Amino acid sequence: MNVMDCNEASAKLLDRRRNKLDARVAAELDAHLETCEACRAEDAKDAALTAALDKLPRRRASAALKRSLETRWVARPRLARTGGMLAAAGVGAALAAAAFFLFFGWHGRGSSDAIFAEAVNDHLRVLYAEHPVEVQSGGVHQVKPWFAGRLDFAPVLAFGGDDEFPLQGGAVAYFLDRKAAAFEFKRRLHAITLFVFRADGLSWPTPSRSIGGQRASIETQRGFHVLLWRRDDLGYALVSDVDERELLTLGAKIAGESHE
Amino acid sequence: MLAEALAHADSLFRLAYHFTGTEADAEDLVQDTFARAFGAASQFTVGTNLRAWLFRILRNAYIDSYRRELVNPVRGGLDDEAPPDASPPARELLRDDEELERLRSVVAEDIEAALMTLTVDARTVVLLDLEGLTETEISTVLGCAVGTVKSRLTRARALLRERLRDYAR
Repeated sequence: MNVMDCNEASAKLLDRRRNKLDARVAAELDAHLETCEACRAEDAKDAALTAALDKLPRRRASAALKRSLETRWVARPRLARTGGMLAAAGVGAALAAAAFFLFFGWHGRGSSDAIFAEAVNDHLRVLYAEHPVEVQSGGVHQVKPWFAGRLDFAPVLAFGGDDEFPLQGGAVAYFLDRKAAAFEFKRRLHAITLFVFRADGLSWPTPSRSIGGQRASIETQRGFHVLLWRRDDLGYALVSDVDERELLTLGAKIAGESHE
Repeated sequence: MLAEALAHADSLFRLAYHFTGTEADAEDLVQDTFARAFGAASQFTVGTNLRAWLFRILRNAYIDSYRRELVNPVRGGLDDEAPPDASPPARELLRDDEELERLRSVVAEDIEAALMTLTVDARTVVLLDLEGLTETEISTVLGCAVGTVKSRLTRARALLRERLRDYAR
């Protein structure tokens, strides 16, 4: 049997209390503890730490959070599984379904409903991009000029963020079939993307409310709120999973200040 | 896959809480974790450890988000700290007894406060061990060798005990 020193012993004390040591090592450690008062004291204190850690409350995610996670992230893969069942029912049927989806999907792009769905997809693409923000914000007067030469229009944005909604930066992105200026704002840990893009050729939904003096539409898809408005030649889409009222607050600041 | 992930929402929330210190921020962090998992779902290999993968995403999301924002930025990894002397401290028995008594008298608030003084990696290793993750799972979360986990855990617990001396009543 090896004679264990204090360094070896202290690394194995926790495993010994959890009965994770094999018999030989456990016997060597026991032999060491019999003769080493310091390691026995160390063991007792570490056991006391375990007892102390057991006092930590076992917090649970709230029901609201779980519902939100399920709505946003779990319901969508269920749709994918439905697609898988179609495929299992027959390759022909699946191909027909795919053709149906492609045909109506692309043609549906022009519909006002599709614009909301695509806004959410484009927001997610920005978030998952390797560099969601290509130019860090030093204020809107630093971010806006960065787009010069990168877009065939000048994004109009006067609101440069504040303490509630700090501007993180900007990047060139795509909105539907066209290039867009994507501005990233934050609200606590929530990311909020503002797309500014050419408004021509799109099927716009009927405005349902007024924000910052502009007529706008809002819709919720997959847990994300999308606020849309247009002004002159430009379209604006504000997308986030932040609370709807907070998104409207930011929308009012942007719509109100962008055109003064 | 994400339906299975829901089963880990409570334990993800607990770690998020011990990272952020508030329930609202912990909820935001868990949402961010699921958003990232959704975006990276194609990178997850079915049959590998979903729980460890999710905890790894949560840890990385926390580091990404908070390093930029906290007034007191997250310090570096556990290795940035001087490891405590591995040999048993040469203290008198009476002082060991005192420390033992103090450890026994701490309350949950003391422990939570002491945990917040540890580095992210030290907190992570202690809390994931408490959640019952194996050393292999913890190594996946931290991105280190399995053999390193045990030494990190021993050091982190020793450091926590040291910090708890100041909080004990």
